[in-house]
Amino acid sequence: MNGLTHTPLELEITQLIIDTLNLEDVAAVDVPAGQPLFGSGLGLDSVDALELALALQKRYAIRIASDSKDARQHFSTVTSLAAFVDAQRTLCAA
Amino acid sequence: MIDVYIEQWRAWAPGLDSEDAWHDWSNAPQSLADNGEQPGCDFVAAMQRRRLSRLARMTLGVAWPLCGEQEQLPLVFASRHGESPRTYALLTDLVDEQPLSPTQFGLSVHNAVAGQWSMLRGQRGESVAIAGEADTFEHAMLEAAALLAEGAPAVIVVIAEERPAEAYQPWIHDVPFSYAVALRVTATPSTPTAQHWQLRLARSTGEADSSSAWPHALNFLRALHQRSASLQHRWKTRQWIWQRLR
Repeated sequence: MNGLTHTPLELEITQLIIDTLNLEDVAAVDVPAGQPLFGSGLGLDSVDALELALALQKRYAIRIASDSKDARQHFSTVTSLAAFVDAQRTLCAA
Repeated sequence: MIDVYIEQWRAWAPGLDSEDAWHDWSNAPQSLADNGEQPGCDFVAAMQRRRLSRLARMTLGVAWPLCGEQEQLPLVFASRHGESPRTYALLTDLVDEQPLSPTQFGLSVHNAVAGQWSMLRGQRGESVAIAGEADTFEHAMLEAAALLAEGAPAVIVVIAEERPAEAYQPWIHDVPFSYAVALRVTATPSTPTAQHWQLRLARSTGEADSSSAWPHALNFLRALHQRSASLQHRWKTRQWIWQRLR
């Protein structure tokens, strides 16, 4: 344990981010789940946000409303994304 | 009549990425196996590099050393076929009724590579992206001459072609392997080693020249290496006559 513990879903989403956004030389276990994805953290930008939303929708068969005012919050870290995906999957399955 | 000096040049093809390798190829040209290799472009930070396609890496790889850190120079980006692998991937998604990747879609224009050059090098001046026929190279030189005539101190010209997507290969005969050639072109020489070339266009009545074994830009690269006295390219009604004065 190195303090960077991820849930399985967090690890899966981190790997999806790495693969989708073509992040060279980044290992999923090295990305803290609570690190900001955009701006100063991992350094993603707005095009990445669109790309990531598309990848999440494909992978988890969920819907992400593009005008959702909560999107910024959901996309802030891997932890918040995992919580969002979990909630959406429960909703869509219901 | 176009009158230019070629001050520096760089070229890349799979397995050929040094001056010596190109010199050898120029003496004994042969087709190259293209297995999707691409220049590393380590001079671009990883976060920017991840958005560079193969064609962009080829272009930046050859153009990068020809422009000084402090210089602002116009760019002519020329590619007859552009990024057909990207186009084909997007079209495939459309046929499959899949949403398009925003990144791929955003970069699916002919001047995308010129735009990336501008951003990564902080180049705020003009750039031109052209696609012509088999004589796209000569048209790129015409663009460069026009920019020089308007007062540019030098022009960076890049010809880049990528091996097309498999589905298009039966129709594309002038890209034996992926290649990129960059030339630094000026109206007056600032280096003693600059080669002085003139380009003239005459009307050709013959058939399209199928004897031109290599793409025009690579033929010209051979002429640069071998310091040939002249070179001719014929395409449809256009006869391009190159003559070296120095």
